[in-house]
Amino acid sequence: MKRLRRLIPAVFFCLSLSLSTAFAAPVPVPSPSAKDKCPVCGMFVAKYPDWTTTMTFKDGSTLFFDGVKDFFTFFHNMNKYAPGRNQTSVASATLKDYYSLKHIDARKALFVLGSNVYGPMGKELVPFEKASDARAFLRDHRGKKVLRFEEITPALLKSLE
Amino acid sequence: MNTPLNRHGNILDFAISSLLRRRSKNFSLLVVYTLIVFVIASLIFFVQAMKREAGLLLKEAPDLVVQRMIAGRHDLIPDRYKEQIGAIRGVTAVTPRLWGYYYDQVFGANYTLLVPEQKLVEPGSILIGPGVARNQRIQVSDMLTLKTSSNAPLLLTVQGIYPSSSELISSDLIVLSAEDFQAMFNLPAGYATDLAVTVANPQEQTTIAAKIAEQFPDTRPILKSEILRTYDALFEWRGGMMVVILFVAVLSFIIFAWDKATGLSAEERKEIGILKSIGWETSDVLLLKFWEGIVISLTAFLVGVVLAYGHVFLFSATLFEPALKGWSVMYPHFKLTPVIDVYQLTILFALTVLPYTAASIIPAWLAATVPPDAAMRS
Repeated sequence: MKRLRRLIPAVFFCLSLSLSTAFAAPVPVPSPSAKDKCPVCGMFVAKYPDWTTTMTFKDGSTLFFDGVKDFFTFFHNMNKYAPGRNQTSVASATLKDYYSLKHIDARKALFVLGSNVYGPMGKELVPFEKASDARAFLRDHRGKKVLRFEEITPALLKSLE
Repeated sequence: MNTPLNRHGNILDFAISSLLRRRSKNFSLLVVYTLIVFVIASLIFFVQAMKREAGLLLKEAPDLVVQRMIAGRHDLIPDRYKEQIGAIRGVTAVTPRLWGYYYDQVFGANYTLLVPEQKLVEPGSILIGPGVARNQRIQVSDMLTLKTSSNAPLLLTVQGIYPSSSELISSDLIVLSAEDFQAMFNLPAGYATDLAVTVANPQEQTTIAAKIAEQFPDTRPILKSEILRTYDALFEWRGGMMVVILFVAVLSFIIFAWDKATGLSAEERKEIGILKSIGWETSDVLLLKFWEGIVISLTAFLVGVVLAYGHVFLFSATLFEPALKGWSVMYPHFKLTPVIDVYQLTILFALTVLPYTAASIIPAWLAATVPPDAAMRS
């Protein structure tokens, strides 16, 4: 049993590795034009450069979101927002690390839930590249939880509305 | 042809000729009116241009400046603070800065001494602002002598003079090397005037400032937004001071205009009576008075605004100089970049043109409803 427990992190690591290969490394990340709107809320994305989140499809087209919340709302309900597309047609996705504001791979990011930092759409999941940054942010900004990509479910998104 | 446009044209024609008949009265009204619009519009242009200038200046300013305080006074900050502040999450870079002021007793002027972040000059050389060059009567490759704090002369060669287009920023500036700066003020090694901190995410700035204040109780972090707010308040205050003076002027104008526009003379009353008796309708009379009001107020507004534009942007607000000149001996000769705030001009328009026009229509309307024979007889 003990050995099994020790194996859990290893399993998780392999799992996240296999998942991360599903999204190729995002280079170079396109930036939104003044006309690009968030497909979920309809707001202009270029006004909020610190929160820009992108989703590039295998056909080369890119969608922009003005926050992580809308990105996940879209990702979990593609039938509604983009009929004809599904999660497997996504080639890469990026979001911006809160501290450095650099684009990072969405799959590998960590998200802080319940902090006192708000995005353009209100309550947000604040993204980080490093776990140490996420934990420090959680302390500084009274966050509740650090989550991984897979842990963000439609039910959780509902609680952020 | 009796199109509606023709009708307006004819009435406007009549309005102008009737204004010209009372030439001196209307002319004096126009002059006072124009003057008021001119002063208010000048103020609007000036404050907007200064705000913009300050905004541009501060765009380059660091997100956060950390100063060390001793007994409530600004003191030199040790370089070792740099590493610790740089380690705070969200801080991209920390740059120690060296700058200060120097009072030249011979020429009675204050200079700003600055060591640039990137090395611009070798020790022994300086770059100077146009104000310094004028004040000292020196040119490129001349020598400038400054007195160090240990009373020894420091000879510096002028390597270049900043163009006069940047005068508002660079007029009293002397750019020198860190070595010369240290020699100048006998500065201990390993100290800086303050630290400039770059923060990637603007949302995190206040948190970082709070962390710095907590980790280093002897420092004072100053946010860029705070500096911007101070500048805004300063211009609001300068503007506010002028507004108080203006208020009296505007009030006297309102009384004057009200009196001129509302009190119809017996002659004007008679005129309305005659117009009505020869077949003018009340609406025509109102239209006539409307056009009269518009001609006066719109002319005054347009002329006043154009004059104000010239005053502020071509003659650098010469009339406001006494109110704006500060302590600096080397007041920069600068030209402001034209900025027009449509919103404020619209308010000015609404406050000057509209009430005047209304004030000239209402009494005419009252006179025009009286039967023409009664109006002529009165």
